[in-house]
Amino acid sequence: MGTKKRILIVDDALFMRNLLRDSLVRSGFEICGEASNALEGVEKFKELKPDLVTLDIVMPKMEEIDGISAVKEIINLDPGAKVIVISALAERKLVQQALIYGAKDFIAKPFTCEKLLGVVRKVLGE
Amino acid sequence: MDKSYRDLFFGEAQEYLREINRALVKLEKEPADLESMNIIFRLTHTLKGMAATMGYKELAEFAHQLENAFDKFRSGKIDFNLEVMDVIFESIDAFAALVDDFRENRPFSIDTALYVSKIEKIIARENKGKVIEVKKIEEDIKIDIGLIDKFKEEGCEVLRVAVVLAKDCFMKGVRAFLVLERSRKMGTVVKSFPGEAELKEEEFDYSFEFILATRESREAVQKELFKIIEIEKVDISIFDLTGLDKFEKKVKTNVPYLKKIQSMRIPVERLDKIMNLMGELAIAKSRLVQTMQAKDYVALEETGYIFERLVPGLQDELLKLRLLPISYILDNFPRVVRDLSRSEGKEIDLKIIGSEIELDRVILDDIGDPLIHIIRNSVDHGIELPDERIKSGKPRHGKISIKVSREKGHIILEIADDGKGIDFDKVVKRALSKNLIKLEETINIDSAKIFDILAAPGFSTKEEVTELSGRGVGLDVVKNTIESLGGRVELESELGKGTKFVLTLPLTLAIIKAMLVSVGEQIYAIPLMNIRETVKINKNDIKLVKDLEVIRIRDEVIPVIRLSKELNIKSFKDASAAISVVIVEGRIKNIGFVVDNVLSEQDIVVKPLSSFIKKVKGITGATILGDGGVALILDVASIR
Repeated sequence: MGTKKRILIVDDALFMRNLLRDSLVRSGFEICGEASNALEGVEKFKELKPDLVTLDIVMPKMEEIDGISAVKEIINLDPGAKVIVISALAERKLVQQALIYGAKDFIAKPFTCEKLLGVVRKVLGE
Repeated sequence: MDKSYRDLFFGEAQEYLREINRALVKLEKEPADLESMNIIFRLTHTLKGMAATMGYKELAEFAHQLENAFDKFRSGKIDFNLEVMDVIFESIDAFAALVDDFRENRPFSIDTALYVSKIEKIIARENKGKVIEVKKIEEDIKIDIGLIDKFKEEGCEVLRVAVVLAKDCFMKGVRAFLVLERSRKMGTVVKSFPGEAELKEEEFDYSFEFILATRESREAVQKELFKIIEIEKVDISIFDLTGLDKFEKKVKTNVPYLKKIQSMRIPVERLDKIMNLMGELAIAKSRLVQTMQAKDYVALEETGYIFERLVPGLQDELLKLRLLPISYILDNFPRVVRDLSRSEGKEIDLKIIGSEIELDRVILDDIGDPLIHIIRNSVDHGIELPDERIKSGKPRHGKISIKVSREKGHIILEIADDGKGIDFDKVVKRALSKNLIKLEETINIDSAKIFDILAAPGFSTKEEVTELSGRGVGLDVVKNTIESLGGRVELESELGKGTKFVLTLPLTLAIIKAMLVSVGEQIYAIPLMNIRETVKINKNDIKLVKDLEVIRIRDEVIPVIRLSKELNIKSFKDASAAISVVIVEGRIKNIGFVVDNVLSEQDIVVKPLSSFIKKVKGITGATILGDGGVALILDVASIR
């Protein structure tokens, strides 16, 4: 593969963003951007047009946009967008909703590095 | 392995399975009864050990898995609801089928894995403390057959997709949901198993199935689903309804309720008695030789008396060896009633009285099916549905009772239900419409006549023939079987109150009292049970009525049959004036048999005929007479 796949990380927790970035970069992906809230995530998606978005489903609302509506927005902008939802265990309903909106897959915290890479590669079709 | 061990194994296995079934029925009635579960567990364990010793690997393995499962049932807090019980019953039936396969040395007729997985599923589910309505995908799909056909017409392929999720998968409910969502992009998810609500609530282990109607190829579907993480396995097959039919049939047909008695256990005490008698007989024999050599006729006569005492005693003891308690058959019946009433939606209590009474093994083997038939009739036609019963002021639970009693040389079996009884008018109307009886016969109709009608081939009062009671064959078979054993069937029924069948059976078939008669050079034996009287008449007493020869005895007109003609033998006495007639009791009509001479009445030992002459009309068997000659035993039923 010629160019590195570009990934956008949307997560309100710095710890998570760092963890995701380190894991993905080490495996040869390019982190094209990071957002710390849903609204910013949608803006960055428009701007960067990444190959893949990882998105924390539970984020504080910013101007009526939270994690779940961010998924909806992003899919509206690009029906082919590849969104992986990241969630904690107890959020089944939210994740289901995100999947209905068109998220490609999900991963539950806590996850291992292999699992993260597995889902990212699968969604990217590698 | 020695053949005797083999026989022992199968005999015991059969016994244990019967006990397990009995315990299961009890367990179902009293789920708190841990003792029943313990019995089941213990017997399964014993069966395992026996099978392993015999080298029946598959059997031992299956028993082992069942034992494990039962152990969990024993320790876990399992709710023994109907569904759980069904699975256990099915597994035991499967085990019995496997035992049979081993006995017959034939390929295995069941897939043990299927049953093991069913049990495991139940345990996994029940142990979570949740009872979830799980329907077999096969059952659900039936409703949707029309839908599936529609998809097929539209050019879709209908696939059965089985998915196994990774064991370390979090939120498996959502994972399953994602699989279904993704599948919906490719077609229509007709049905999932477990249902989607259960899937969402994570009420499943790591695997689930669904039916997908799609235009995509199987490979494409598989590839697409594998794009989802935490999926371990995706199996896709063409959804095939004919395959389903086979599956269901297999489950249904491998459950014969009654098995032929293959071997039996004999109390040592009985064998000892026989040995003693044999010993005395040996002594008497040497005494006989001595007295004959000494030409001591007084002592010889005494010796004769000794034989007269010993031989019948030995005969009696040997006969008893063939006797088995009727519980051998009746013990299966709680299970039969349970299964039948469940499938009919009825609630029935079965009461058995006198199951310890003993009957000849040969008779036991033959009466099982007729009894089941009568029971089926009661469940199907007799006992009403619970609501109906309450409406007519009866207790919700129907009652069927089987009462066994002994009466002289006979065994009486009464099978009674407290159901709706037989509507004589309805039976008569139907019989008329089917030309089974004539109008003039409908006067003075009684239960005996009704029974004859019901037992006529091709009669059934229920509008639609149900799976249960067969297709109108049945009562005629019951009647024929019992009569061929030298027994009788009677019917009593009261509309609204219930129906009772009374079966009268001989205690044994091996030795019967018979009347010896001669026709030409031949001697025949007529079972005394059938004989009403013997009369001597004058040749002129035989009158012709419409080509039929009849005699008149005490104002009764009795048709006569000349045995010489019927059996095609030359009679010595065709022309003589005095004629001997043996009058045989029929349930409908009495018949007189014209014979040359009535010789004597005696006990005869019934020997079955070899297969090549078995089907000769009029003859049921043979016996060896005191002088070494052979007498054929007349089958009165088939001649009249």
